[in-house]
Order: sequence, then structure tokens, then C-alpha cells
Amino acid sequence: MALNYQEMIASLQGFWAERGCVIMQPYHTEVGAGTLNPATTLRCLGPKPWRTAYLEPSIRPGDGRYGENAFRFQQFWQYQVILKPSPDDVLDVYFASLEHIGIDLLRHDPRLVEDNWEAPTLGAWGLGWEVWLDGMEVTQFTYFQQMGGLDLDLIPAEITYGLDRLGLFVQGKRSVLELEWAPGVTWGDVFRENERQWSAYNFEEAPVDVLARRFSEHEAECRHLVERRLPLPAYDQVLKCSHGFNQLDARGAVSVTERAAYIARVRNLARAVCQLQLELEGDADAAA
Amino acid sequence: MPTLLLEIGCEELPASACREAEAQLPELCRTLLGVAPAHVLVGPRRLAVLVEGLPERSPDEWVKGPPEALRDRAADGFARRHGVSVESLEVRAGFLGIEVPGRDVRELLPTQLDAVVRGLAFGKPMRWDDSGLRFPRPIRWLLAKLDAETLLGETSYGHRFTHQQVEVASASAYLEVLRAAGVEPDAAERRRLIVAGLDAIGGWSDPAGVLEEVIHLAESPLVLEASFDERYLQLPEPVAVAAMQAHQRYFPLGGNRFAFVANGGNAEVVRAGNEAVLENRLEDAAFTFERDVAQGIDRLAERLGSITFFAGAGSFADKTERLRQLVERLGGGEASLEAARLAKADQASELVREFPDLEGQIGAEYARLAGYPEAVCSAVEEQFLPDSASGPLPQTDPGKVLAAADRIDTLTVAFELGHRPTGSRDPFGLRRAAIGLCRLADEGDLRIERSDLAPEVRDFVEERYGSLLDVPVEAVRAARRSAVSDLGAVAALARFLAELPDERLGPVHEVYTRAGRISAKTDSASEVDPALLHEPAELALAEALQRLDLDQVAERRFDEALASAAELAPVVEKFFADVLVMAEDSSIRANRLRLLRDVHEAVGKLGDLAQIPR
Repeated sequence: MALNYQEMIASLQGFWAERGCVIMQPYHTEVGAGTLNPATTLRCLGPKPWRTAYLEPSIRPGDGRYGENAFRFQQFWQYQVILKPSPDDVLDVYFASLEHIGIDLLRHDPRLVEDNWEAPTLGAWGLGWEVWLDGMEVTQFTYFQQMGGLDLDLIPAEITYGLDRLGLFVQGKRSVLELEWAPGVTWGDVFRENERQWSAYNFEEAPVDVLARRFSEHEAECRHLVERRLPLPAYDQVLKCSHGFNQLDARGAVSVTERAAYIARVRNLARAVCQLQLELEGDADAAA
Repeated sequence: MPTLLLEIGCEELPASACREAEAQLPELCRTLLGVAPAHVLVGPRRLAVLVEGLPERSPDEWVKGPPEALRDRAADGFARRHGVSVESLEVRAGFLGIEVPGRDVRELLPTQLDAVVRGLAFGKPMRWDDSGLRFPRPIRWLLAKLDAETLLGETSYGHRFTHQQVEVASASAYLEVLRAAGVEPDAAERRRLIVAGLDAIGGWSDPAGVLEEVIHLAESPLVLEASFDERYLQLPEPVAVAAMQAHQRYFPLGGNRFAFVANGGNAEVVRAGNEAVLENRLEDAAFTFERDVAQGIDRLAERLGSITFFAGAGSFADKTERLRQLVERLGGGEASLEAARLAKADQASELVREFPDLEGQIGAEYARLAGYPEAVCSAVEEQFLPDSASGPLPQTDPGKVLAAADRIDTLTVAFELGHRPTGSRDPFGLRRAAIGLCRLADEGDLRIERSDLAPEVRDFVEERYGSLLDVPVEAVRAARRSAVSDLGAVAALARFLAELPDERLGPVHEVYTRAGRISAKTDSASEVDPALLHEPAELALAEALQRLDLDQVAERRFDEALASAAELAPVVEKFFADVLVMAEDSSIRANRLRLLRDVHEAVGKLGDLAQIPR
């Protein structure tokens, strides 16, 4: 009996809890990917081991399709796992997690296809793969090398499951909208109207001048908080800038040149916050 | 002599890393083991070498010590350093020394093999633990066998999903053991299998060249045929091909069919899955395509004012206006002007944002859908041709004109903003643009006035002929300083000069260099004063020069121009024999120098012939 969507999530929670992960919950500020959750970004810095797993709604204003496309949404679901440092058998464990949620690896064609991940707004990059099942990318797997422009002490393995696509394999469906979320309730029942309204907002209503002004305000607040040596709230301001940029981009309000300038502004903030976070951790260790 | 196996087991390596290892392993083995490998086997999960004929022992070595004459003073120290007694030292050719016996290869190999692994250099290495090793992906096992003896590691591993650990009984059994475990370790054999599979289906194509990567994406390649819903055939063909090739590494079979390579699984399940993936991509492309088409190319073109070409270079609307002016200057007709107006419209389309490599092609498709004449559409499509030193040129005249205008604009604007390429840094692709312009002018027979190019741009563009044309670079240098007025003529003249037999070039070369050498030395008059000409030979030269008309050069009549210049040769020779150029009277001297300078300049319309060594 195939797992429904919420059972699939619960199954992954259990799988990774058994392997020593701290099970976190989605972050409260919009992120384009689970990677931006501070439980990944900030915890990957420095020499302390860390294992976590959590569900994350990925908010990408430009990817909305008014709920009319079966595979692209302005809000979709990722399941994020960080294993720092990465264990030697990390790929075996990952594939075991797919079997755990009911995917038969011998019936399908799982592949690891080179994909070198880079997040310019975070000053972060890593090497890894997109994991394919029968040609569909279902997971992004990355060994982080740098974050906030800083070389990492311990190399974390990041596993980002694309839950919507995995759900298609688990349930044998062809449209994400038709996935069973809970008995008698589909993914579309839960989110389709949400997609329609947010697409309308993101593409038609979001106020460009207000968004541009807010971007600068969040930027200034971030700088202020860095001066006050408060990296955690400062990091939220980075996230707000990053999301604001995505909103402006979805409105078609960012030219090619401005685009590079916006990205550089967010990257500079991220770098400052990451450096401060590392410094504070170092200070705390020295005090202990 | 024993056979050695070294297998470096990895997490799935990128194809580029497989190729790097394949290129380096033979030389590394030769250097570090003394023998080149009989087989180099690379693939996504393992890099391996099989070395046959490895000597059992390293050769004995004679370590030369101090001269025998110094035995009393130096023998003790030498013996101590090598851990032997003084009595055991031997004498050879007047020197003390010791014979160090060769060592068993089993003792040497662990260190040597470690050096092979660490000796591989990759473009994009990574760290994964604190071992300090850097490799394109984590190394998860090593296995080294000398015949049946295990030197490093324990076992190998078969196909990631269908097999687990496998015992390799002996080095020479390696291929057989892996093939039984669902792995084809030999890249050449995998290629053969894939191509054979594709050929069996027939009609396959690979315009983006994904085969080289696909070879390294499967250890157990299985070629399957599939298809997508026919309703996506409404999409422009390049879009469907890009979705198949760039994203999915599929091989288009024409129409709605494609082939792909799997690494295992149930063929029916895997085929259905891949079909669904492609249809998702095509569905999304269709969504953006329909939104673009609903707007239409004219409305897309109107939105170019809000898209920046690049910093300081205005918007795409500004670029469009400049293109129209350039097209006019290049003599383009109505179709070229219309194409210039629409050329950049697809920059405002959503489909180009998703498929940036298809700029131009998508614009052309949208122009066709809007009912523009084919001459306009094909010009839009061809505006980025040629895209290399050997790629195809635009087939149509409007296409050539638009392609040239686009490059002239990019070069001019970039140079004005100081973005001259330096070393390997050429972010605006100016070298490629310049090469394209050279080829449009030369092979494309498009007339581009040299005077229409800013001097800095003209130099940069014409320099490309040095590497582009199959003639000595000196001929290009000579032609660049000629009086030819259009860009393509520089190439034509360089070829003409390079092919000239010495008996034809010689006399003219002589006139040019001799007249140039002497007249360059001292101040000459500003113009020849006929009243100061007395000697018959100088009068004859002045008269011959009057008659000389090298304007044929500008009309590419190089042969006639050369013949005219050659007529000067005997006159100049007589002049030098009869006339003393450096006359005592300074005004006569200056006048004669002027005359020679005029000769130099006139013949120089054929090019700076002094560049050509004789």
C-alpha cells in the first residue's frame, strides 16, 4: 500500500530521526530552498558536527503557474537533510531512505548526474549530483565546500528531496495536483487555490516600488544588526532581501545589469553575517 | 611477469573527470611504475588500470662512494650512512661502493600506487573528509591486486543497485568479474554498445554532442526508445531538441520519438518515467511559448526598452536602433531593416529566459508565426552565425548584413566602454565577434568599409585574419597597411601577396623597400617641385610616378596594380644608378627625398611589403 503524502513525510522524519538527526520544522520566513534555512546555512559553518532533517516549503515567486501546470509551483515541498561531517556510507543511506518510502530501486533507474550547486546570493557552492529516477530529478545531493564565501571546516552532505516529484513515484501518479495528501484529500485540494492566488499576486499585484524600497530597508537593518553583533536576526534580514529580490524578478522588474547588482548586495550581507556567526562561535568556544 | 590491477572506487564521477583520468593514467603509470598500462578503464564509479609485464623486482643498484684512495678517511662515514659495515664495501673502477639489491615489487607498490592516485590532477576537485585528499568526487574504496595477491583493499563492487561486493580472484580476472556483476568498465566498449543500440533503432541524432557524457552516465548501458505526445510538435523544433538534449541527454529520433540510455531497471517502467519527464518539460515550454505567442513578436519588441544590453551600453531598444543604422550603412535592404527591428525581440520572451541558447531561433519562429516574410525570419535566425572560426555562415544576404551589424555594434560599444579582452578574459565574446566579422567579409563576400570601423576596433578585427587565414602572418600585416577599403579585401590581398612567386614580388618589393629606406632617413620636402628636377633619370621617375595609378587596389584588381608597380622597377633602378640623392644642395636633396617618398607611398597602396621577408 503506497504511502500518501503526509505519510511519506512522516516516514522520512522517522528514518532520519533514527539516524541521529535533530528533526526541525519549516522556518518562519520565506526561503527559496531548504538550504537557506539557518539550520543549514549557519550550522554548516565552523567545526561543530551537526545533523538535522526538516520539511521546508520552497517559495519561488517566478515559478508559479496559477495552479495550471502539474509540475511547477510557486510553493513546493522539500525535505532537507544535513549530515555534518558526511559519513562514508552517505549515498547508501540516502538510497535506503528511498526504499524506506516505498521506491523500488531495481524497477526504476536511479542515477547520479553531475550537478555543481551554487547559490550566488549566499556566496556558497558545492559539488554533487541531481539524483534522477527514470530521468526525473528527485533530489539534489551536495557536498558543500563554501558558505558565505568561507571554506568549510567539516564537509557536510546536503540531501534535498523534491517531495512532490518523489510523491509521483511513490504513488504512481502523473500529476502533482493529483497526489493523495491524506485519505480522500489531494495535493490540489490543499494547494491549488493557493497557487492561483499567489501567482496572481506575484505576477500581477506585487508592488514593485514598495518591494524595492523594502529591499533597501532590510539591507540597512541587516547591516545595523551585524554592527550590533546579532547574526541570527541579521540573517533573517538576508532572507527577506533574497525573497524580495525573487519577487521583483518575478514581476520582470529586474534588468540583467540590476540583477547582478542585487545578487551582489545579498551576497555581501550573507558574507558579513556568516563571518560574524563564525566569530561568535569561536568566542563562545574560547570562553568555554 | 605478473599483472597488476589498480581500481579507484568512487562515488559517481562527472564525465569530464573520467576523461581527465583517462588522459593522465598512462603517463602516470609509466612514470611511477615504469610500465604503461595495457588497459585504462574509466567510468562513473571506478578508474582502473591493468598493467602487464611488471618486473618482479626493481633492478639492483650500485651506490658509488668515495674513491678507494680515500678509504681511510671516508669509508667509515659512507658505510654508516648506508647501514653496512666497512668490510662489506666493494671496489669498482677505483671507487668504493655498495650493491643495493633490487626490492620486491610488492614492497614498492603500495607507495607507488598511492602516488598514482594522488598524481591525478582534476579541474574541479573537492574535499569530503579530513584526509587532505582532493578528487572530483569521494573515493570510497581502493583495490590493488598483483595477480592473485591483494596489495590494497579487499574487494570491488558491482553495479550500484543490482550487485554488491564482488571478489576479484586475480588481476587478470577483473574485466570478467565486473561484467558478471553488471558493470562494463571499459569506456570504449560502453560507447560501442550505446552506438550499436542507437543504430539498431536508427535515425538518431546528437546535435549537442551528449554522447560523450552519456558514455560516463551508466555502467550498464541499456538503449531504449520512447516517444512524447504529438501535441508538443507545435513547439518550435529547437525547443523540443533542447529539452531532450540539454536537460535529459536524450537522442532525438525525429518527430515525437527519442532514444535514451538507462543504467538498469524495468524497461517499461523506465521508459514511461522518462516519457513523463520529457512531457513535463515540454508542457512547461508550451506554457511559456503560448504566453509569448499571445503577446506576439511586435509587442515583445516594444518591451526591449526595459532590458539592459549591458552596463553602459543602453537597453536592447537602443541596440535595436543602432542595428537599424548599421544595417543601412551596410547597404541592407527592406528585409534586413525589418529583421534588425525584430532581431532582439525574443530577449523579452519567456522562452528565451528558459532556453537562452536558443536566442535568435525563437525570435525567428515568432516572426514566422506573426506572418513576416521568410527573408526577415531567416535573417533573425541567422544573426548569430558564424559562431566560431569554422561554423556555418548565414545563407541569406539579409542574414549576413544583420549578423555583421550585430557584431560591429557589440565591438564598438564594448571598446568604447574599455572592455578590450585581456588574456583569457573576454566576457563579451569580442574575439568571437571579430572572427565572425572577418569571415562574413571574406567568405561571406559582405562589403564592410574599413573606414566604418573605429580605428581600435578595426585593428582588433583585422588582427584576427592572422590566425584565421592560412597564409603567413606577415602577408596579413602587409595587407592591413594597404589602401584596400573594405575588410574582406584585406584577406584577399593577404592571400594574393602570400601566393606571389618571388620573380613577381621581388622587383616591386625592391622598389618599395629601397625608396622607403632612404627617404625615411632625412627630412624631405612637403611636395615635389618640378622646377628642381634636372637629371634625366629623376625626370623619368617623376613622369612614371605621374602615370602610375594604383587605385586598382581599392577595386581588388591586385594583379593589374602589381603589374603597374612593376613598371617602376627599371626606372627606379636607373634613378639610383644615375642620381645622387644626397645632393649637397639641401633643396635639391629634399626634393629628391620627396620623390622617393612618393614612390614609397604609391607602391605602399599594395601593402606594407617590407613586412614580407625575402
